[in-house]
Amino acid sequence: MAFLDNSGDIILDAVLTDTGRMRLAKGDGSFKIAKFALGDDEINYELYNKNHASGSAYYDIEIVQSPVLEAFTNNTSMLKSKLVTISRTNLLYLPQIVNNATVGLSSNSTNNILTVLVDQATVDDATIAATGDFVNGYRIGDTASPIVMDQGIKSNAIGDGSSVVLDADLVETQFMIEIDNRFGNIWDGLGTTQATPSFVDDDNVATYYLSTSTNNTYFGKSGTSMSGDVLSGPRGSRLQFLVAPSVDLNSSTYLFTELGSTATLGAAVRQIDTTVRITGVTTGYRVDLPIRFVKKQ
Amino acid sequence: MATTFKTLNSANDVTSTRTLLHEAIPLTGTIVSGTYSDQNIKTYSHGMFESVYDYPYLSSSANHIFDITTGYSSDSAMSGASSIQNSKKLNIYSQMAQVLVGYDAAGSIQNFDQDGDIAGGGTKIKEAVFVNFSRLLSKDEVKKGSFEMWVVTGGVPNSLSHRMTISDYGAATSYKVNSPAGEYGILYTSSATPNPASGVGLVYYQAGVALLSASIFRGGATTATDSSLGPGYASGTYESLATGSNIEGMANAFRNRLQNVSFNNTVELNSTVYFCRASHNEFNYSNNPTYLSDSQIRVKNSTTDNPVSYVTTVGLYSSDNELLAVAKLSEPLKKDPTTEVTLRVRLDF
Repeated sequence: MAFLDNSGDIILDAVLTDTGRMRLAKGDGSFKIAKFALGDDEINYELYNKNHASGSAYYDIEIVQSPVLEAFTNNTSMLKSKLVTISRTNLLYLPQIVNNATVGLSSNSTNNILTVLVDQATVDDATIAATGDFVNGYRIGDTASPIVMDQGIKSNAIGDGSSVVLDADLVETQFMIEIDNRFGNIWDGLGTTQATPSFVDDDNVATYYLSTSTNNTYFGKSGTSMSGDVLSGPRGSRLQFLVAPSVDLNSSTYLFTELGSTATLGAAVRQIDTTVRITGVTTGYRVDLPIRFVKKQ
Repeated sequence: MATTFKTLNSANDVTSTRTLLHEAIPLTGTIVSGTYSDQNIKTYSHGMFESVYDYPYLSSSANHIFDITTGYSSDSAMSGASSIQNSKKLNIYSQMAQVLVGYDAAGSIQNFDQDGDIAGGGTKIKEAVFVNFSRLLSKDEVKKGSFEMWVVTGGVPNSLSHRMTISDYGAATSYKVNSPAGEYGILYTSSATPNPASGVGLVYYQAGVALLSASIFRGGATTATDSSLGPGYASGTYESLATGSNIEGMANAFRNRLQNVSFNNTVELNSTVYFCRASHNEFNYSNNPTYLSDSQIRVKNSTTDNPVSYVTTVGLYSSDNELLAVAKLSEPLKKDPTTEVTLRVRLDF
C-alpha cells in the first residue's frame, strides 16, 4: 500500500521587496498585503511541444524542467509576466498591446526609436527637427501626434477587426504606465493635461493608472471603430499619450552626463535611453516601449 | 472579466503564527583565551570593560561575542578610596544594578540579590563579574535552563584547579520575574543543590547578561595564596585583585579561568501565512510574451483544449498593486482547469 501524495499544499518563504521594506519602514500603514498574483517569468512557452512523439505527457517536459531563479528584491524586476484568470476555458486567442505608428507617433526615422526632444534649443534646431518624428518636449501640445497603443488580437482567424468586436471581458478599461520619474512624465494625447502618478517607488519609477471612466482624454476610438489599425483581429481599447521630459532633463545636463551618452542626431546631442512600460490592468499584458530623450549639446 | 490579481480574504486566507527558534551557542575557552594570543580581546582607554571577539578584532571577519567587566557596590568591603579604579568599579556595579535590579521605594539603586528575593533581604551579591553577551549570540533571549559556564575558581597560575560547572539548573520551570530587565535565573554550581542559598550568580535571559558572585572565587580557593588569575598572571586572591588591580586586569583574570560557555539562544519569529488559493478556473492563462504566437495561445491547438500555465512565482501586493513580497517555487507548477492549488506563503518578521 503506497503512501498518499501529500504535496497538495506548498509552503513558500517570501522575501520583502525593496518597496515592501520601504513601506514597512515608513510605519504609516502603507504596508498592507491585500492581494496576490502568480507569475511565470522563467517559463518559455515556446518549449511546449504539442507534437512530441511520446505523447501529451511529454508536451511540457522541457517547461517543467526549467530551473527557477531565486527571488530578486527589486519590485520592478519580479512578476513581469503574470498568470491570468479568465473563467472560460475555450479561448484560443488572447489580445495583445502593440504600438501603432500608423496613426500615432512613429520612431524617429534617423535613430529608429521614439524620441523626445527635451528643450527649446533642441526643438528649434532645424537639423535635429528634420531627422524624423519626435515629441516636442518644449511645447508638448505642439507634438504632431501622440504615442498610440492598440489592444486587440493580431490574427484575423476569429474575425476581421473592422466587424468583429473583442469579447467584453478581455477589453482593457484601465492601463498602467510606468516611467522613470527622473526622466519624464505622462500627458494626455493632446498634450493639454499632465497625468498624476499614483505613486513613485523607491527606484524612482512612477506609476500612472489611466482608466476609460476617469481619463477619457487618454483613450481613442475603440473596437470596430478604431481607425488606422495595426491589428487584423478583434480590437479592444486604444491608449494615446505623450511623454514629456522632466524639468531636470529640460534645464540641466546632469542626468545626461551621469546616465546618458553623446551622439549625432542632425547635430551633436546628449541622449538617455529608457523604457516606458504599458500594462493592461485587465489582462496584465504588458509592453516595454523604448524611448530616447535627446538634448542638443 | 479577466484579472491577474486575487484578493486575499483577511478572515480565511491570512493567519499569524509565533515560533520560537533556538540555536546552540558553544563558546570554548580556547577562543576566549589562548587561540588568538589575545588579539581577539579589545580593550579601551576608559578601562571600564573589555570585549571578546571570535577572531582577531582587527579583521573584518571578527564578531563581537561578549564583554567582561567587574565591579562592587558601595557597601562592599572592597570599596574604598585606596582601591584601584574604585569609582569605575562602583559605577559599573551601579549601572548594571540599576538596569537589571532597579530601584527601591526611595529611589536608591538596589544590590543584586543572591536568591532573587530582593524585597526579602537576604544575601546580596556585592562584588560581581559581569559577562554581557552580544545580541549576535543571545538574540532575543537566552533559553531558560540552557546556560552553562565552566569556571576555574582556585589553584595557582599554570596549575588551575577547582573547575566549577555553573548553570541555571531548573530555570526552565523556575525563574524570577522581578527585574525591570525581564526574566532571570539563579546560577548554581550543582544540579543537586539548586536551593536559593547556594546561588553563585544570576543570568538575565532577555538582557543577555550573566553575573558571577565573587564568592565563588573565595569559596573555591583552598589556600590564601590561591589565585583568581589565569596562567601567566601573578598570584593573588580575589580580594587583593579587586582592590589592587584595575578592571581590565580582573577581566583578564576571569577570562583566563573561563573554560567554556554554552547556551541556547532564542529568536521569536512572527510569521504571517498567506494562503494563496488558485481555484480550478483561476490562473490558467498567462500574459507571458511567449504564451502567444500572433495572439494564439501556444499551449492550445483548439478551443476545446484546456489552457495550461506554469507557476514559478507568487507575488504579494498592496491594494494599489505595489509588489511588497515575493516567494518562489523550486520548480514550475502546472496549473490547468483540472487542478486547484493552495500555496502557503510565509512572511517572517
